[in-house]
Amino acid sequence: MTRVRVASVLLGAGFGFLLSWGQFIDPDRIRDMLLLRDGYMWLMFATAVAVAFTGLRLMRRGRVRSLLTGQPVTWTTARPERRHVVGAAIFGVGWAVSDVCPGPVAAQIGQGIAWSLPLLAGIGLGVLIHLREQEAPAERTTGRRAERHAPGTALPASNPD
Amino acid sequence: MIHGLLDRPPWLVLGALLGLVVLAAFALLNERVGVVGGFADVVERVTGRRAALGWKAWFVFGVVGGGLAFRLLAGEATVRHGYGWLTRELAGPAVALVLVGAGVAIGYGAKKAGGCTSGNGLGGCASGSAASLTATGTFMATAIAVSFAIEALT
Repeated sequence: MTRVRVASVLLGAGFGFLLSWGQFIDPDRIRDMLLLRDGYMWLMFATAVAVAFTGLRLMRRGRVRSLLTGQPVTWTTARPERRHVVGAAIFGVGWAVSDVCPGPVAAQIGQGIAWSLPLLAGIGLGVLIHLREQEAPAERTTGRRAERHAPGTALPASNPD
Repeated sequence: MIHGLLDRPPWLVLGALLGLVVLAAFALLNERVGVVGGFADVVERVTGRRAALGWKAWFVFGVVGGGLAFRLLAGEATVRHGYGWLTRELAGPAVALVLVGAGVAIGYGAKKAGGCTSGNGLGGCASGSAASLTATGTFMATAIAVSFAIEALT
């Protein structure tokens, strides 16, 4: 359990450092990206997806087992549903207005950027609203929670997103 | 302090390194990276909905630490001129209000869509998930359209 936590923190630290270095956490950079003035972000994003996409398939072909869980590297895919489009559109509005998404807001907190706090509060509230909606009786039958295994042995499963 | 950290590395280098983080999450934990899921873990823990934090919460703590480490090594923050267009156009209290609203949209929307820019955009697209590709295309198109609308109005 401790090993899973340490590995998670280290992975996050690498992620936060890289987001900072690429200035992905600067709202003006995201704005330039979204106004299609700056190709850097798009090219970097495409490279990251391409590297991960290729590497994943190589790992699967090589029957690589994950170090801490011992399971063969696998992943699940999902078919698009209405919620993917509706949710993503709502997310896109929030992203364009703030020019910050969840990874960068966490890195901003680390960098001591005070404006990240109201945004973080809003994200927490939005997550809570979604949670309440999921818990509403009418929604319960369509609940889709805990579809994945827990990593390691003792840590409970994280949220799927 | 390390000089050069305040300049962006070539996009190919940074993109490859970010891709490697996604791969490392599979190699170590067999998991897809995701930030909003970590926030959700914390919200569920704080509100008594879960007994212990999942790995994504620890991942998010790491992202905070990575930002801090960067700032210490680089000597200054990478957000240098206020907070984008909001602090240029609006007064402080209005900025805070707009940010809370934008945050609600981000948190609610990302949870509904099953991921944010990292979960759907990086991890999900790399997995070849059609749902993630759809969500990523949708939030990018929406964000581009809204950004041009804001640009036209300000």
